[in-house]
Amino acid sequence: MTAIQLDRVSRWFGNVVAVNDVSMTIGPGVTGLLGPNGAGKSTLIHMMGGFLAPSAGAVTLDGAAVWHDHGVYRRIGLVPEREAMYDFMTGWQFTLANARLHGLPEPAAAATRALDIVEMAFAKDRALDTYSKGMKQRVKMAAALVHDPAVLLLDEPFNGMDPRQRLQLMHLIKRMGTEGRTVLFSSHILEEVEQVASHIEVVVAGRHAASGDFRAIRRLMTDRPHVFLLRSSDDRRLAAALIADASTASVELDGRERALRVQAVDFQRFVHVLPLLAREHGLRLYEVAPSDESLESVFSYLVAS
Amino acid sequence: MPAPERPPPAAAELRPPPAAGVIHDIGYRHHDGPRFGRWYVVRSLAVHSLRGAYGLGRPVRSKVMPALLLAAITFPALIMVVVTVITEADKLPLDYVDYIPVTFYLIAIFLAAQAPQLVSHDLRFRQIPLYFSRPLTYADYVLAKYAAMVAALLVLMCTPLTVLYAGALLAELPFWAQTRGVLQGLAGALLFAVVLGGIGLAIASATPRRGFGVAAIITVILISYTVVSSVEGIALEEDHPEVAMYAELFTPFNLVNSLQLWLFDREENALFATLPTPDGWQGVIFAAVALGLVAASAGFLLLRYRRASAS
Amino acid sequence: MNATVAGITWRAMVGRRRALLLFALPAVLLLLAVALRLTGVADVESARVVLGAFALGTLVPLLGLIIGTGVIGPEIDDGSIVYLLSKPVSRFAIVITKLVVAVGCVAVFAVLPTLLAAVVMASGDDGLAAGYGAAALVGGAVYCSVFLMIGVLSRHAVVIGLLYALVWETLIGGYVPGARTLSIQQWAVSVASATADEGAISADVGLGVAVTMLVVVAVAATGYAGWRLRSLALTGED
Repeated sequence: MTAIQLDRVSRWFGNVVAVNDVSMTIGPGVTGLLGPNGAGKSTLIHMMGGFLAPSAGAVTLDGAAVWHDHGVYRRIGLVPEREAMYDFMTGWQFTLANARLHGLPEPAAAATRALDIVEMAFAKDRALDTYSKGMKQRVKMAAALVHDPAVLLLDEPFNGMDPRQRLQLMHLIKRMGTEGRTVLFSSHILEEVEQVASHIEVVVAGRHAASGDFRAIRRLMTDRPHVFLLRSSDDRRLAAALIADASTASVELDGRERALRVQAVDFQRFVHVLPLLAREHGLRLYEVAPSDESLESVFSYLVAS
Repeated sequence: MPAPERPPPAAAELRPPPAAGVIHDIGYRHHDGPRFGRWYVVRSLAVHSLRGAYGLGRPVRSKVMPALLLAAITFPALIMVVVTVITEADKLPLDYVDYIPVTFYLIAIFLAAQAPQLVSHDLRFRQIPLYFSRPLTYADYVLAKYAAMVAALLVLMCTPLTVLYAGALLAELPFWAQTRGVLQGLAGALLFAVVLGGIGLAIASATPRRGFGVAAIITVILISYTVVSSVEGIALEEDHPEVAMYAELFTPFNLVNSLQLWLFDREENALFATLPTPDGWQGVIFAAVALGLVAASAGFLLLRYRRASAS
Repeated sequence: MNATVAGITWRAMVGRRRALLLFALPAVLLLLAVALRLTGVADVESARVVLGAFALGTLVPLLGLIIGTGVIGPEIDDGSIVYLLSKPVSRFAIVITKLVVAVGCVAVFAVLPTLLAAVVMASGDDGLAAGYGAAALVGGAVYCSVFLMIGVLSRHAVVIGLLYALVWETLIGGYVPGARTLSIQQWAVSVASATADEGAISADVGLGVAVTMLVVVAVAATGYAGWRLRSLALTGED
């Protein structure tokens, strides 16, 4: 059970605080590190990867500090954001060199295996500077996987990838997660994190804003209005009944959608009151759906606050 | 229980039908008025590059080296002025024309360090297409950068000359002689700036890596200087002064130095005391070679950026 | 010492445009030596000038600069050093391996041509070949270690190294005799003086001082470079 632990970690560069008192635990499975640009995601990943020392607090892997410990790389695989690699090498030579640098007993076999996982065996004898961006990213993954690490850190892996490459990479990351590895990737694009991560950590302006399943996070924000989409046998009468109740902030009849949009300020009360009111007025409810459960709204609420 | 007899009113009665696509004017304004011409663009680029060469408009770190070199090259001039004033000498210890050759190491370092600063950044980060999507042709770009490099070198070289001149006037040395001297010195500085700036820029534009450009420029200057010095030393030993004089053609600083000595009709070479200076038509060869170097550098730069603008 | 790191470093050094400079410089030296020999001017005195001023005075420091910064500077600059640092390899091993490759390059591109030039010009008289060859090796190695360290410390390593070699060693060392005691160049000259025949080469710094300083500087520079590599921050561009 490999877990990265951040304990009250802060990092500042002169007067700029990049990471502000962040505590989190990254366990097995796929975790998405989400936040707008400049939120400190790269700084956090660098600290977890042992390339930056925290100004305060501790970053540990299974209890041992990551900083200044080059032995820790036996268990960590890092996929950096920057594109530069040893351009004069071929994909095969690059992966093999990485395998050798890890001191693996059978570097060639490990390299072959890694290239097969990322499906880059077909281009392994071409020089790296002839690769497309997606191919380079996959070879970087192969280099990070060659020593079968328990922890995988990916810094903005989907940057600049086209939809098909993105799908392949998502599939790969999910597979790494189901194999029991601790996978952490950062992104500022909500759809990517939504589709791949089972657990998200939200970082905004250096602060740890939220953590957990995104639906659970949404639930926790009961001080924000929940918006529901209702369809019933008589929307207008339902609207009148709902607005009379304290749990509803606003009702809106959407003629085009032929639905009723309700903003509920008291979630618990609203879900209790809705069926009662419907029965009281003899209305039939055809559809009751939350209309902002996506990560998008979580994000914008968090960022706005 | 009353049930609705009709379906609710059609959506059309509640809302107007959606219109066809329309783009709204949200206030974005084009500029249709007068614009400055190409000349303004070239001038702006040159000024911007010149400021960059001295680290203005950049973080403090970029100002350290130019400031250090400027101080280092002006310091001896200050000392000379002080010495002249105190000892009440009747002339400066070193002539204006000789000051630059004597301090050529510092000028070489400045060239090697700052020429890449002017051109490597744009090449490395592929910003050239951004420049050429403006009303700026590749010739304008080269002109602007060349002018900036020449200006940067001139600032470096003219500061100590100005200090010397001011000090000479303070020490009440003969006015017209000093003025003539400083004008010669400034003209010489211009020659140095044009020839060396061209060479430095040409070499720097050959590589997007700044460190490599620095190494390449200093290598060319230093190796040519050392080879030529060795050859000259040996030639003078073996009593072949002509060979020694023509050897000067093969390294840029000495070439321009000999050229300016010929132009201003002087006998003593500050870089190499016993070396003869060109006389009469010999000087024409030096002038031709210098001109050729400038043309070659400019040609290389133009070709380089024409290729960059076409790709 | 790590064979894979050595392989990567060596291929990066000789496989690029940098290699042009590396080949061109000794070529100039050899051409000069041959030219002087053919024109019948080559004698012990001129050999001393060429080897002392050119080979040892210019070629070795320049090549030390280009090679010393070239084995680590570009990798740090474009960030590809992360692939070396994210491995369970000691930082000191990385630095020492790169230094060994650098010294190897210096041996091929500076020491060998110096020996050849000395033989061509003076054909073994006065032990000049051995003297200048030894000096080139020792001086080149220490230059590499110092410039490698500067390459780890700063992105402007080439300019800083230039300032040292040109301003400190040549300019100031030329006018201030005291500065010569702190000049890698002069220490190398002492080694040359001791290795060549008696009195063939004159040195300004005593042999004991020179050798001690060479060893101390090389070890300290390498150690400090390894130490700082552990804390290298892989930030964005300058």
